[in-house]
Amino acid sequence: MNSISKQASQTGLFSRVYSLFSVLKKLPPQLSEEELEGLIKVLPADSANSMKSLLKPSIQQASMTFIQMLSTALEETKAAKQSGKKVVLAPFNFPPEIIHAFDNLVPITTEVLTTLGVVALEGQGERYWSYAMGLGLPDHLCSANTIDLGSMLSGMDFEPDAIISGCVGSCDVNSKTHEFVSLLVGLPQIALEKPPDNTARGLKIFKNNYYKMIRQLEELAGEELKDENLRMVAEKVNRCTELYRDLWELKKQIPCPVPGIFSLFICATRFAMWGRDEGIKTLESCLAVSRRNFESEAYRSREEAARVFWIYLSYYYDLVRFYDWMEENHISNMGDALQLAFPEPLDLSSRETILDGMIESAWNNVMTRQMGAASMSQRWIEDIVYVIKEWHINGTIYCGHHSCKQTWSVFSMARNEVLKRTGVPTLGLQGDSWIRSMTPMSVIQEEIEQFVHNVINKRGRRRRTRA
Amino acid sequence: MTVLNSLTGVIKNEYVQQARARGQKIVGYACLATPREVLDAAGLFPYRLKALGKGETEMADAYLSRFNCGFCRSCLQLGLDGTYDFLDGIIETNGCDHLRGMFENWQYAAPRSFFHYVRVPHLADADSMRWFVEEIELLIEALNEHFGADVNDYKLNKAIEIQDQIAAKMRRIYESRWGGEIKVSGHEIMSLMVAEGSLPAPDFVKLLDGFIGTLEDRKPINCRARLFMGGAATDEIGLIAELEQLGGLMVADSFCFGGRLFLREAVAKAPVHRLAEIYLNNLMCPRMFMNYPQRKAFILEMIEKAAVDGAVLFHNKFCDLHGIENVKLKMNLEEAGLPVLLLEKEYGAGADIGRLKTRVQAFLERLKR
Repeated sequence: MNSISKQASQTGLFSRVYSLFSVLKKLPPQLSEEELEGLIKVLPADSANSMKSLLKPSIQQASMTFIQMLSTALEETKAAKQSGKKVVLAPFNFPPEIIHAFDNLVPITTEVLTTLGVVALEGQGERYWSYAMGLGLPDHLCSANTIDLGSMLSGMDFEPDAIISGCVGSCDVNSKTHEFVSLLVGLPQIALEKPPDNTARGLKIFKNNYYKMIRQLEELAGEELKDENLRMVAEKVNRCTELYRDLWELKKQIPCPVPGIFSLFICATRFAMWGRDEGIKTLESCLAVSRRNFESEAYRSREEAARVFWIYLSYYYDLVRFYDWMEENHISNMGDALQLAFPEPLDLSSRETILDGMIESAWNNVMTRQMGAASMSQRWIEDIVYVIKEWHINGTIYCGHHSCKQTWSVFSMARNEVLKRTGVPTLGLQGDSWIRSMTPMSVIQEEIEQFVHNVINKRGRRRRTRA
Repeated sequence: MTVLNSLTGVIKNEYVQQARARGQKIVGYACLATPREVLDAAGLFPYRLKALGKGETEMADAYLSRFNCGFCRSCLQLGLDGTYDFLDGIIETNGCDHLRGMFENWQYAAPRSFFHYVRVPHLADADSMRWFVEEIELLIEALNEHFGADVNDYKLNKAIEIQDQIAAKMRRIYESRWGGEIKVSGHEIMSLMVAEGSLPAPDFVKLLDGFIGTLEDRKPINCRARLFMGGAATDEIGLIAELEQLGGLMVADSFCFGGRLFLREAVAKAPVHRLAEIYLNNLMCPRMFMNYPQRKAFILEMIEKAAVDGAVLFHNKFCDLHGIENVKLKMNLEEAGLPVLLLEKEYGAGADIGRLKTRVQAFLERLKR
């Protein structure tokens, strides 16, 4: 073990994020500009940069609710250890609502923790990444997993009681990294495999696997999954779905009234607090802000230089120079493919119908649905094309996170087919979504700027001329 | 050795040409998890996709990216440049994310009239076994329909029998190095393993018999150290030969063109169920989940039996499965007292050989050999 990196990671990512959010949750529901300025002055540079973006007046109402939601999730995780509950770590593509339905289980999501660390902590997640690299792990791993899991591997952070491996069949690096941690730390692992078969047969096998997983969770929790809990969570899941769909509808408007950063809020809610009151409140506040924008004359007259959709991931390490910069440059950031889960309302008639709905939701959850399909290229392309048409997208971008081998392996096909089917061009970038040192944001900004001016806008002009 | 050299030096070898001449259909597959007996029983010539260490990927790079494994890019290159035009069909398996991408791009850019996806479970529990049985049945159905084959239990049992013979013969050659004198080098073993998927099963039996016939008269090979090698999907015989020239002989390995190839334990009698067990229960690949202890035990047992001095674990750049598992394996092998060298490499990259040789040479020094 590298003693320097061990020393550096003596405080784990979870502990540091928890400490910071314990402070943030004490902020008043509305900050004046002076208060915000004061807060930013006392925070370390990296944290201040994110808070400057998150707490700006135009989105503050939603951000505050979002911060409260995350604080609750972190507190529950922390408290679980003291109260004898079990903490289950799962990847982002595993819908957490089933875990929320257990009295004795608390879910925590790897990629949400990593993103919180990257967004909120001084030095972002680099020390934990370095620690994992020090163990000999290859540098082509996914930073979204490796940063949080690296912190756990250091032995200086909070450890969950079990890991759900929810990416078996849809992402090698994610599932393998979780397995590595489970083996090294000695944590039980529950694998939920999705067969790459889109037919009823595939779904039947998946259902069977899901039921098997429930039995394993029941064993871990020491309780049976209760009907009343399931129904209560399901009702809240339906409310989340309804709000998600309302936000989806609003995104169809030109100019788009939904701020780009809300895609991050929506995803974090989906990945961690779907089916919870706090999740509902976050989505409600996102909707309220977006509706206010929609109704505002100033906002409605805003010009849109482009409507850009990120076809897989986007970048999460610099909110100011990513979301805010795009907004200032009149580029509507319509979010990324992490939103492409297409949730459906659950049928609340019986336990079976609720579970059937949750299983279909897991089957269709982001990445599982696209990369775990019979053909990862076809399903991914179909979803991108659908979104382009729904949201009137005129440019798409592939961020080129070096670790996404599955999307990288069919990206060329996706770019060609998207252009062929919709006429919308795709910009291919290369960079790490969670590590700023891989590709500086200034380079990304430059590429986006050129793409918008030289490709999207020129095409638009050509089309208008032809018409 | 001439036949073996020709089989491991050219993709479209003489057996392929003969099969084409007599009108036998040839179907390509890549992954060890493909139950090749089904293809044998269908009267087809199963050909295992390989790139024989060729590192050129210009055409493939227009489809797969530089962030994908070089072995898959090289195989795709050969699929696009016409080298694999002799294939009448392709069987896809979900070996890894790179391999899935390779198949999808191949079928997109140079489609074959027969393209079937055998979905191999990532777990080896009872439910997965039922699923895999169905997959084999679906494969049979697809082959019968497309090629007018008539796969039945009798033919499957015959095909299983031949593969059992092959496995026994390969094991005999493989393990001949474990008792004392080494008469077969590691790269020769890899040549046999690569040849295995390059010719029809009955011909391979003859080739193995011929090889076994030479064992007695071979001279022992001197070596500085007995090495275990493992990791990445590779058929780079030349690479192993170059590294062996440094004096460390590969006496055991866990490559998928290697020591994983002839594991066939199964208890079921019905042929389809038997095949499912053979291919799923014995799949010592890091693509499988929840059975790392089984893979570790398999490797430790080999290391002990082969009296190994040190282990070299490779992974192709961007191979997550081996890249991650090798780290855990290194820890476990070192705990067992075995020195380990981890090597990341580019597939088929001649320019990389100097670096790799230096690392292995230093490792041999470390072993005090």
